[in-house]
Amino acid sequence: MPATLFHRFVLTIGFLSLFHVAYSAAQHRSYLRLNELDFTHLPLDVIIQAFISLFVIMYGVMNVAGDFKEIKASAELENRFWETFKNVPSFYTFSHRGRFLNPSYSSYKGDDE
Amino acid sequence: MSSKSRNGNNRKVVAYSDLAIRNNLSVVEYCRTSMAALSGCTAGVLGLTGLYGAVFYIFAVTSLWFMILFKAGLSNWKNYFISRKALLTNGFFGQLFTYILCWTFIYGMVHVY
Amino acid sequence: MTADLIVDPQIRFWVFLPIVVITFLVGILRHYISILLSSQKKVEIQQLADSQLILRARVLRENAKYIPKTSFLIRKHAFNREEEGYLMQKRPPVTQNMMTDPTMMTDMVKGNLTNVLPMIIIGGWINWMFSGFITTKVPFPLTLRFKSMLQRGIELSHLDASWVSSASWYFLNVFGLRSIYALVLGENNAADQSKQMQDQMSGAAMAMPNDPKVPFKAEWEALEIVDHQWVLTDIENTITQSDG
Repeated sequence: MPATLFHRFVLTIGFLSLFHVAYSAAQHRSYLRLNELDFTHLPLDVIIQAFISLFVIMYGVMNVAGDFKEIKASAELENRFWETFKNVPSFYTFSHRGRFLNPSYSSYKGDDE
Repeated sequence: MSSKSRNGNNRKVVAYSDLAIRNNLSVVEYCRTSMAALSGCTAGVLGLTGLYGAVFYIFAVTSLWFMILFKAGLSNWKNYFISRKALLTNGFFGQLFTYILCWTFIYGMVHVY
Repeated sequence: MTADLIVDPQIRFWVFLPIVVITFLVGILRHYISILLSSQKKVEIQQLADSQLILRARVLRENAKYIPKTSFLIRKHAFNREEEGYLMQKRPPVTQNMMTDPTMMTDMVKGNLTNVLPMIIIGGWINWMFSGFITTKVPFPLTLRFKSMLQRGIELSHLDASWVSSASWYFLNVFGLRSIYALVLGENNAADQSKQMQDQMSGAAMAMPNDPKVPFKAEWEALEIVDHQWVLTDIENTITQSDG
């Protein structure tokens, strides 16, 4: 499926979320520094949000990046029929007897004028 | 535009489309670069240091591999890629610098100051 | 680890971030400027014909086994006939010197203008503008050998090696942002010089030989020693049997 608006929306949401996580982490760091505590690890909700936003962005990127094509050379030809190949516009013939069957066709009119 | 390779098992010549292979590889490369940058950002936000960052990179590359296989379809990935293992290992070190740069950048933004 | 070293948060917004943004934007700008300046390379029709001729001879040599012997000999004769064969043609000797040719000269100047000059100017400017700051700390321990690489501009012998100075941060960005450019601008962009080199290498088939005499001679020799062996002698039987 091609990249849709939905996937771009997902991508944007993911980036905003990642940015928010970065901001929260920076806040946490400054809070620790003001209270003179040692940094051991981030709060759990920040970690979880970071992981979730990473995978949300990757989901968006995978869909925006484009589709894979089948690498077998015959893959494109498999779904075509003989009629498709037989259809050569350069060899169309209109000047055959079938034109008399068309009710709107009248040869006399053309000849008189 | 097709390159031929001989398949050893059933002695059948399989023609691969050069254009499709290149398209797939460029899509994968796009995902890989994004993954390196984004996982670097996430590692920086989480404040990983030293070996944890390296482990996180390996985790990111592996999960990207699973995501690509999942996108291609778990059973019919052979339609899109020649080798599943090469998909994992190619460009493993090529994107390492991007990862480290993003990691350092976000780590500096969030945790140093 | 010198975890107790506290850096002024102002540095983050007035040194650390601007360096990244400037480096990135300069890369983008360079991409568009080199698109503006790039000139389509003029190709002499004679050179084009010669390179196609060599390609034709190569194709004949590689696929000779699929055509009957007489056909191969006729084609080979057309190429290698004495005096009048395609590969025996005389070409006026081309004395194209890099320095005397004005188009080559302007190309080189343009290349310098878009690649080297911004590096020097922006690098010098950043060195002058943001010199002497500690910008960031790499999140992994490094040995003392990296000190000279990462701490250009601050000579503090007791500082831990994992701190990065502003000048070094700029250089890290210059080299590290390459793949990000590939992401933003698409592949084969002009901000990334290494890709262009690869392009030139892979496009060897279309490269115009300035002096066709040498490749002509090589191709003539190769064509002379081809031993024609037809692989399709038994093709009717093979096909009918394998189908059955």
